[in-house]
Amino acid sequence: MPKKPNAYERYLAEQMADPEFRAEFERERREIETIDAIVNALDGLRDERGLTKAELARQIGKNPASVRRLLTASGNPELRTVVAMANALDADITIVRRSHGRARRTAA
Amino acid sequence: MAWGVTFYRSSTGKVPAQEFLATSPPNVRRKLLVILEVVRAAPPPAFSGGGMWEAMHGTMNGYYEVRATRPGRRNYRLYCILDNGTKTELAKRGFDEPHIVVINGLVKANASLFSDGDYRRHVRKLGEHYRATLPRPVAA
Repeated sequence: MPKKPNAYERYLAEQMADPEFRAEFERERREIETIDAIVNALDGLRDERGLTKAELARQIGKNPASVRRLLTASGNPELRTVVAMANALDADITIVRRSHGRARRTAA
Repeated sequence: MAWGVTFYRSSTGKVPAQEFLATSPPNVRRKLLVILEVVRAAPPPAFSGGGMWEAMHGTMNGYYEVRATRPGRRNYRLYCILDNGTKTELAKRGFDEPHIVVINGLVKANASLFSDGDYRRHVRKLGEHYRATLPRPVAA
């Protein structure tokens, strides 16, 4: 038997009954999930390589704080813009590991 | 395991988080609800947070903040508790799955801070009531 919706779920359903609210909700949700997937993928690859955020920043000639911000917080307006544009154009952005990527760094 | 989202209900029957959302501007309300749904779909630590969902520290340790920041305007925050445990523990609390419990919301001007008194009165006091009560006081 389906579970009875609680007050939160009923409240959300009421809001979603408005087509304009729903469309914007879904758009924002796609954007947040895409950014999250990109950030998680990059951070996962960094971790696999055994690199700290500071080491990754040095490799690309950036300030460690800017890499930390990108991987942990919302301080990446350019990424948000790129994702919003892709969404508006019905496209996805994904991080794909190169098949000829460098070997994983091993602990000394 | 799937997570649920629920509103805290006070001892007087009020549902502060729902009242907060109802009085928030529509675009803020939408953003806060989107974040809750994204976290529900990818519960911690899966969701990176992106500055929109942050674990709190210090006196607010154990609470999570949902942030809808509108540059140059007011900043809207929801405060949540993650209620998780074994199946037996959850059953005692009245749940059959872990829950994101939305306790209350606060609003502040850009670049200002909430005082610890604000957190104590509007969040921790309610959170303490929530944690001290079995089954959990939530809005059915």
